Amino acid sequence: MAARGYGATPRWAAVGLLVALLVALPSVVAALPADDADVPAADLRAAVLASADVGFSGYAVSAGGLALPVSDRLTAVADLFSDRTLVRVWWRGPEEHRVDVVTAAGETGVHRDPGGTWTWDFEAATATRGSPASLALPSPPDLLPAALGRRLLSEAAEDELSRAGARRVAGRDALGLRVVPADAASSVGRVDVWVDPASGLPLQVEVFAEDADLPALDTRFLDLDLAVPPADVVAFTPPPDATVLPAPDTEELIAQAEERAPDVSLPDELAGLPRRTFAGVPDAVGVYGRGVTLLAAAPLPGRLAGGLREALTASPDAVTDELGTRVAAGPLGLMLVTPPDGPAYVLTGTVTLDALADAARRLPGAAS
Amino acid sequence: MIGVELRKLFRRPRTWVTIAVLNALPVLVAVLVQLTDLAPRPGEGPPFLSAVLTNGALFPLAALAIVLPLFLPIAVAVVAGDAVAGEAQAGTLRYLLVRPAGRTRLLVAKLVAVIAFVLATVLVVAGVGYVVGTTLFDAQPVGGGTSVSGTSLTQQELAGRSLMAIGYVTVSMLGVAAFGLFFSTLTDSPLAAALGALAVLVTSSLLFTLDAASPIAPYLPTRYWLAFVDLFRDPILWRDVVRGLALQGVYVGVLLAAAWANFTTKDVTS
Repeated sequence: MAARGYGATPRWAAVGLLVALLVALPSVVAALPADDADVPAADLRAAVLASADVGFSGYAVSAGGLALPVSDRLTAVADLFSDRTLVRVWWRGPEEHRVDVVTAAGETGVHRDPGGTWTWDFEAATATRGSPASLALPSPPDLLPAALGRRLLSEAAEDELSRAGARRVAGRDALGLRVVPADAASSVGRVDVWVDPASGLPLQVEVFAEDADLPALDTRFLDLDLAVPPADVVAFTPPPDATVLPAPDTEELIAQAEERAPDVSLPDELAGLPRRTFAGVPDAVGVYGRGVTLLAAAPLPGRLAGGLREALTASPDAVTDELGTRVAAGPLGLMLVTPPDGPAYVLTGTVTLDALADAARRLPGAAS
Repeated sequence: MIGVELRKLFRRPRTWVTIAVLNALPVLVAVLVQLTDLAPRPGEGPPFLSAVLTNGALFPLAALAIVLPLFLPIAVAVVAGDAVAGEAQAGTLRYLLVRPAGRTRLLVAKLVAVIAFVLATVLVVAGVGYVVGTTLFDAQPVGGGTSVSGTSLTQQELAGRSLMAIGYVTVSMLGVAAFGLFFSTLTDSPLAAALGALAVLVTSSLLFTLDAASPIAPYLPTRYWLAFVDLFRDPILWRDVVRGLALQGVYVGVLLAAAWANFTTKDVTS
């Protein structure tokens, strides 16, 4: 029998060395420097905007820190911006792709084909067929780095763009492209888009609120394969035992909402941002601004206004004065305007609380 | 020496009592679900349980998902914690070491016996789950089944993926076994060793639910346990499965090395 401790030191030293090596390995890999390349910001943006047809498949994670003060009817949207969402994607083009939101015990897959979308929900065993809508709530495909990056860069002006070094994302060297919005009303401090220079695909997008160190929204690829995925992976046929549902008709819903909306005419400019028009947006809704600085204004029927007020005042940061109630979730501002005479309004967008108050004063019938 | 340990383990009545108790819970759940026709609402309860009402052939997976978070690791921790400390407590360890086989080989033999126990347990739970599932619920023997992604799987694909899941769950338990075995070389009390391994598991499960602990989440031993669900997506999502296997490998390697460093230099008196 060996006496206690005989030969113990070298053996424990070997074990300690093994542990130290294993603990250090991830940080060493993470610290590997990324190769920067001398690509001007404007060229990088052009490459990103041209990347919609690049085929790829991958695994992405989006993490949001935005606690949206919404009612329980919009929990899916609220979860999207406040939780970690894991997404698998197969992209053959803007009209042919598949995006699966992966959860621990199930998944929800959106299969897009030129005729519309199939949405498969494993846990409910339902397949929903929808048609492409011009106006829709945010959904997981919108938060993919590639889609979000293209959207946020699409309206950026040349003088808002700068380069921001390089970093490794999903095992690739990604070049940084920074957007600092020029509008004084903007609540977005900056947007960093990390781009794969060869394909132009955004690999990571970070949105920072004004003066924030941590991103309010961070979406990035964990794995990326730059090969066009096979068509049969993207296509979908409902399984025989699934319930097949038609999607709610959003065009009809919007038309109904427009009929019920109070009749007002919104100003041509709010908070220094010019009004603009989009196809599919009803006249009762005003959209203002450009790029990452956007503001939407809409009159509200009284019934909805009461529910929204409850949701907003429940937030500890809510500011209530003679104009109404306003609250910020990261860079996203939301305000319920309650004028002394005339209908209530909802204002929301990536603008500061001061800009929201300024906009509220200019609405028809508002307290000045 | 491995044969001796295996015979010893599987001749013990308590090994079989443990396996029987492990099967009792899924069977009880199956009977209750069948009697009340109330599967958990989609998205709640253990994975696959809500799908069992339409396809009983999925019940082996639901049964594994039921025992995986708590029952199975407790059983593994008890068996692994008993491996060396049990001999010490019974006063048989020093007689065991008189044989010329060496302490390292004894450790390896103990680990192999624990692995055999895990594999036997998982197979029995899956087998009983299959029998219970196909007896109590409608099975779909012709059409195979539906993957998590909504594509159709043939009977062969479903069977193949179920086998992979059984293998994956077995490997997932190796980390627990290694913790139990390591603690078992530290103490002469099998209870303390089993509780030590359980403490590690409870800590890991708790930290995994905390957002603040997300930087260390990829290194938690329980992090990838539920990744066996990924084997039923189409195409299979290998990322977490591969990481789960590698992580268990690292834990087994490190803890076995620590157990070896401790046990081969320990003064065995009982």
